[in-house]
Amino acid sequence: MALLEVVGLSKTYPTGEAALKSVDIAVDAEEIVAILGLSGSGKSTLLRCINRLVEPDGGSVVFDGTDITKLDKPALRKARRHMGMIFQEFNLIDRLTVLENVLSGALGVTRTWRGVFRAFKNADIQRALELCERVGITDQIRKRADQLSGGQRQRVGIARALMQQPRILLVDEPTSSLDPKIGREVMDLLQSVAKEAKVPMLVSVHDVILARNYSDRIVGLQNGMKIFDERTASVEAESLDRIYNIAS
Amino acid sequence: MSTPAIVGNPLREPRIIFRRYAIIAIAAALVLALGKYTIVEETDWERMGSAAEIASTTLDFLPDLAFFPETFLPLLETLLIALWGTTLAVIMAIPVAYLAARNITPHPWITYPLGRGLIVLSRSTHEIIFALLFVSAVGLGPLPGIMALAVRSVGFMAKTTAEAIENASPGPIEAIRATGAWPVMVFLYGVVPQVFPIFVGNAIFQLDINIRRASILGLVGGGGIGYMFAEVMQNLRYDRAGTIVVGITTMVILGEFISNRIRNRII
Amino acid sequence: MRSQTAEIYEGYLSNRRGAQMWKFVALLAFLVFAVWSIDVLKIPIERVLGMFGPLWRMVSERLMPPDLAYVAQPKILRSIVETIGMSVLGSLVGILIVMPLAWFAAWNVSPARFILYPLARIIIVIARGVPTLMWAMLLVAIFGFGPLAGTLALMTATIGFAGKLLAEQVEAIDMNRVDAIRATGANEVLVFFYGVLPQVWASWVGIIIYNWDAQFRGSTILGFVGAGGLGLYLREQLSVLEYHTAMGVITVVIVLVILSETISHYLRHRLY
Repeated sequence: MALLEVVGLSKTYPTGEAALKSVDIAVDAEEIVAILGLSGSGKSTLLRCINRLVEPDGGSVVFDGTDITKLDKPALRKARRHMGMIFQEFNLIDRLTVLENVLSGALGVTRTWRGVFRAFKNADIQRALELCERVGITDQIRKRADQLSGGQRQRVGIARALMQQPRILLVDEPTSSLDPKIGREVMDLLQSVAKEAKVPMLVSVHDVILARNYSDRIVGLQNGMKIFDERTASVEAESLDRIYNIAS
Repeated sequence: MSTPAIVGNPLREPRIIFRRYAIIAIAAALVLALGKYTIVEETDWERMGSAAEIASTTLDFLPDLAFFPETFLPLLETLLIALWGTTLAVIMAIPVAYLAARNITPHPWITYPLGRGLIVLSRSTHEIIFALLFVSAVGLGPLPGIMALAVRSVGFMAKTTAEAIENASPGPIEAIRATGAWPVMVFLYGVVPQVFPIFVGNAIFQLDINIRRASILGLVGGGGIGYMFAEVMQNLRYDRAGTIVVGITTMVILGEFISNRIRNRII
Repeated sequence: MRSQTAEIYEGYLSNRRGAQMWKFVALLAFLVFAVWSIDVLKIPIERVLGMFGPLWRMVSERLMPPDLAYVAQPKILRSIVETIGMSVLGSLVGILIVMPLAWFAAWNVSPARFILYPLARIIIVIARGVPTLMWAMLLVAIFGFGPLAGTLALMTATIGFAGKLLAEQVEAIDMNRVDAIRATGANEVLVFFYGVLPQVWASWVGIIIYNWDAQFRGSTILGFVGAGGLGLYLREQLSVLEYHTAMGVITVVIVLVILSETISHYLRHRLY
C-alpha cells in the first residue's frame, strides 16, 4: 500500500478557476515523484491540498492510512508535523537568523513557552546545527534570513523541513526562483537528502530536464488534470511533449 | 510669416482657465463669509484692545527664568505619565489589533467590528474627555492621566498594527502552518516578526505625541504640568506660563531627537 | 557532528546564556522603574483594581443615556457650525502660511540655507511642540475669549503639524528636475513653482486633507478653555454636574470626528 494515496482530488477557486479536476496520485515509500506541468497546471494547488493549506473541494488524501481531508484542526496539525514542505519563494522568517529559521521547523512539537521565548531545547539546537551542516549553510547560521542569497535560502528551507523529521517531503517548485546552476545544486541536495533519510518526495517542476534527472517517476499535469504517470526510466518523449503542446 | 493658427492662451483652453478661477473665487468668497460669520461677529473687538495692547500682552509671556526649577518635578511627572500611558497602550493594542485584523480575527462577523469599533472610539475621543471620565471615576492625580493616555493611544497603535498584520506576506505564515504548529506559534513566528519593526516605530512615535498630550491633562486633574499651567494663567503670571511653555517645548524637542536616534538604531 | 559544528554549538549556548542574562537585567530594571514611578507619582496602586466597579457604574448610571435633546438646540447647532468654521479657517490660513515655510524648511531647496532654514525649522518645531489646547489658552489671554483665539490656535497647530510633513515631502524629491529649472536662470520662486511644487503637489494635497482632519479633532475641545466651539458647552454642563447633557455634547463630538475622518479618508482615496 502506498504511503500517500490521493484519489479524485478536485479544487475550484472562488474565482471560478478549476485548478484541479479529479487527480489521482500515489507515492510509495522511498520514491521521488516529479509533478511536471506548466504554470497554472495545478501543481502548487495539488501540493497544498495534500497538507490542506488549501482546502480541496473533493476527493481524498490518505497518508499512512489516515484520510487527511477528514481530520479536524488539531488532528490536522498533528498530521502536518509529519509532512515537510519546501516552497518556491523559500518563505523564511526574514528577521530571524538561519538557525532560528531551521528551529522553527520543530514548532509543531515545541512547547508554547519555549517557542514564545525562543528557548529551544538543547537537543533541538544540536539537531538543527547538524542539519545546517548537512545542507552546507553552517557559515551563515547567525545571519538574518533576508541577508542570504536565493540558493542559501532554499538550503535553509530544506533544513527547516528536515527538522520536522518528516515522513514525506512536499516540494513546490524549489528551483523556479533560482538561476539554473544554483537550481541544480539545490536539486542535487534534495535528492541526496531524500534518499539518505529514506523519505519519499513529491516535487513539482516545470522543467522537463529536472524531472528527468531527479525523479523515479513523473506525473504530468495539464489544466488541472493528470495526463500521464510513468516511471522516469521508461517515459516516452511523446508524453513529455504533450505537456508543452496546447493541442495534441 | 503667416499668422499662427493658435489664438488665445496656448497652454490651456480658456474654458478650463475660467473654471479654475471661478472655483477659486467662489471658494475664497465662502471662506471670507465663513470668517466673517464665525470670527468677526463673535469676537469682542473692543475688549481686545489696540495693537499695542496686544503686543504688550504678548510680551508678558517672556519666560521668568527663576521659575524654572519649580517646573522640573511637574515636567518629570508629565514625562512619566506619557511613558506609562504609552506602555499601557502598547500592551492593550496587541489583543485589539488581533481582533481588528481581517486575516486573523477569530470571528469575522463579531470580533472584527468589535476591534474596529474600539479603534474608532479611541481615535475619535479627545484625551481631555477621557481624562474627565477617569478623574471622575478614580479621583485626581497621574493615574487617571495615564489611563486616559492609554485609552487614547490604543486606537492608533491597534489600527497600524492591524494594517501591518493584514499586509503581512502570506509566505512565511504558510510555512509555519505547514509544520503543524499551533495557531499561536503561527502568529508568533509567521506574523509577529514581519509586524515588529512597524510596531516599535509606531510606539516610539506615539510616545512623542503623548508627551505633548500629557502636558495638558493636568488642566482637568490628570496630573503633570497642566495643573501648574492653569494655575499661573489664572493668576495672570504670564511670565511663568512662558517658562512652562519653554519647558514643555524643550522636553518635546529632546524627546523627538532621542526617539529619532532610537528609531534609526532599531530599524 | 563535526568538531566545527560542536564548537558553534558551544558558542551558541554561551551566547544565549549571556543574552538571557541581559534580558533578565532589563526586566529587573523595568520593574524597578515601575516601582519608582508608582512612588514618585504617588499612585494608589492598591485602589487600581477596585476602580473598575465605580467606573462602570459611573458610565452606566451617570453618563448614559446621553441627553441628545439638549444637543438639538439652536445654540448648540450654531456652535457646531462655529467649530467646523474654526477648523476650516484655521487649517486653510495655516496651510497658506506653512507652504512657503515648508519650502524654507527643506534643506535641499531652501533659498537661504543658513538663515531661512533654521528659522523655518524653529518656527515649525515650536508650533508643534506646544499642544493645541495650550496655544488656545495663550491666545485667549492675548486676544480674549471666542473663536478668534481658537482659529489662531488651529493655525499655529497646522504650521507645526503640516509643516513637518510638507517639508519631508520636499526633501524627498528628485533634484535633477529642480536643477533643470535652475539652469534656465529662473529666480528661486519660479524654481520652486516649476521644479518643486509639481513633484510634491500630489502628496501635499493628501497632507492638507489629513491636517484638516487632525485639526478638526482639536477644534471640538478648544471651547473648553474659551476659544470657541463646542467645548464651551461641555465645560458648562460639567460645571453644573449635568452629566447626561455633557455626554450628549461628547456624543456629538465623537460623531462629528468620525464624520470628518470618513470624509478625509474618502477624499484622499478619491483623489489618488
